[in-house]
Amino acid sequence: MPALALQHVNKFFGQGTSRVQVLNDVNFATQPGELSLVLGPSGSGKSTFLTIAGGIQTPTDGRVTVDGQALASMAAKDRDKLRLHQIGFILQAHNLVPYLTVRDQFALVDRVKPQGNLSPVALHQLLDELGIAPIVDQYPGNLSGGQSQRVAIARALYQDPAIILADEPTAALDSDRVKVVGRILQQLAQDHHKAVVVVTHDLRLREFADHVYQLMDGQLTLEA
Amino acid sequence: MFLALKEIRHEKLRYGLIIGMILLISYLVYVLSGLAYGLAQQNTQAIDSWQAQSVALDKDANVSLSQSLITADTADKMTLKRSQAYLGQAGVVAKASQRPNLSAQFLGLQPQQFISRNLTLTAGHKARNDRQIVADTAFQQQGYKLGDRVTLNSVDGKYTIVGFTKNAKLSVAPVVYGTLGAWRTLRGVTPAFKASAVVSQRAHQAVPSPLKTYSTQTFINKLPGYSAQNTTFTFMIGFLMIIAVVVIAVFLYILTMQKLPNYAVLRAQGIPSKFLVSTTLSQAFILVVGGLVLGALLTVATMRILPLGVPISFNLPLLAGVTGGILLTGILGALIPVKLILKVDPVTVIGG
Repeated sequence: MPALALQHVNKFFGQGTSRVQVLNDVNFATQPGELSLVLGPSGSGKSTFLTIAGGIQTPTDGRVTVDGQALASMAAKDRDKLRLHQIGFILQAHNLVPYLTVRDQFALVDRVKPQGNLSPVALHQLLDELGIAPIVDQYPGNLSGGQSQRVAIARALYQDPAIILADEPTAALDSDRVKVVGRILQQLAQDHHKAVVVVTHDLRLREFADHVYQLMDGQLTLEA
Repeated sequence: MFLALKEIRHEKLRYGLIIGMILLISYLVYVLSGLAYGLAQQNTQAIDSWQAQSVALDKDANVSLSQSLITADTADKMTLKRSQAYLGQAGVVAKASQRPNLSAQFLGLQPQQFISRNLTLTAGHKARNDRQIVADTAFQQQGYKLGDRVTLNSVDGKYTIVGFTKNAKLSVAPVVYGTLGAWRTLRGVTPAFKASAVVSQRAHQAVPSPLKTYSTQTFINKLPGYSAQNTTFTFMIGFLMIIAVVVIAVFLYILTMQKLPNYAVLRAQGIPSKFLVSTTLSQAFILVVGGLVLGALLTVATMRILPLGVPISFNLPLLAGVTGGILLTGILGALIPVKLILKVDPVTVIGG
């Protein structure tokens, strides 16, 4: 059973003459242990794809399942719970709560999800790997763009989700850091058996992916 | 509470200013409530001390003690019980050598009737003849002493202060208790008149025409200026409560607007709206409680430096009511930005 699947998903925005099709008969499936890369230029529908995959938006038609459960049949509250427990989001902007130190960003997760998060040892390892262990007492306002992005990655991984959905996770990183993040995402897929989906236009992540998709004008195609 | 406390600690100046606003509002509400209660007390202290339930007055006196007179003929038709007492009222100005002039309410009593019987003195003894008086401690505060010989209303002869009693004020003036004989002299009436009113500790008293019985509350409400003064204070306090709601709502609304992108991320990550709503409400709670505590401390400090003559007074139910009112209005104010949180769309933060 795929960890995440989209079947014949279409998404339209607007009405009448201003009606626009953003996703066109998208089919996608990813298994635990796979890192899937969805490449596409701005406006290609990457974000819509990601929000529908994460249950934040509903498709106009088609079916989305997470671990075999159809999202359409879930109440909004249950979709919130699913995102909290099974999906980790790594977002581009406003990732961090500005008035929480790096350490408190993880404490916040503990407040809403007391169990099933990384152990303190595993968290420390992750922070070391991302090179952000020395800045745990800093506020986001004191961090560089790259540091903020790495903290956001760590924060998403801290929930230990089965599925990781990342929106441009390397947008603010230099090539060395891209490799670190790429390797972490790859390890999460391979060693920790997670399904990782990354939407990006950063071709530097291509070498870490098991599958590379191209999203162009709402149509998703798997690269050979 | 976690996010609320963390944010307040991080944004000390911003939240300090909000707490400062609530402090000023609560301070004003406390002081106004204290003044309203203090003034109300000074209108009714004497009546409260009698623990009376009803007052019988001339039915044409418009429920006014100063306008009411009971003739001896009418009084002869009544046999007063232990729970009833005659009361004669006259407005007076007290003068004594080397003492300030004081406006007061002279209340003539009949010895052995319950008001006189229950009169508690802080010094001296009760009036034993028509030339002896017992004065409220306000006279003491103005320098009057036991044994002082006082002129009342330029009436011939002097009255001697033989006792002091506390909490004896009527219509915001200190009370001077004396005899009904002295009252007749001060009021300028002949022995054909017995008193101004019959006060009773029972709610119902059978009285002959032309007397009519009123409840003590009706009697108090008709005291000159009493209702108007209370209504004015109630309106002022009410408006301040409304201002408190608006201030808290506006501040929290603006702060919530600024935090919407963060909330959208948290919603995308599956943090329930309930958690974010409870954060906003607990933040409002902390801000209001902080403002109230500081406002209360400032009020206590103010009370300590106010001159004795300022009629400010508090009691626990009043404080609890005012505090609860501001707290409730603060939480109500915080419900307005809650709508924003419930509508936050996580899609807005996923773009590119």
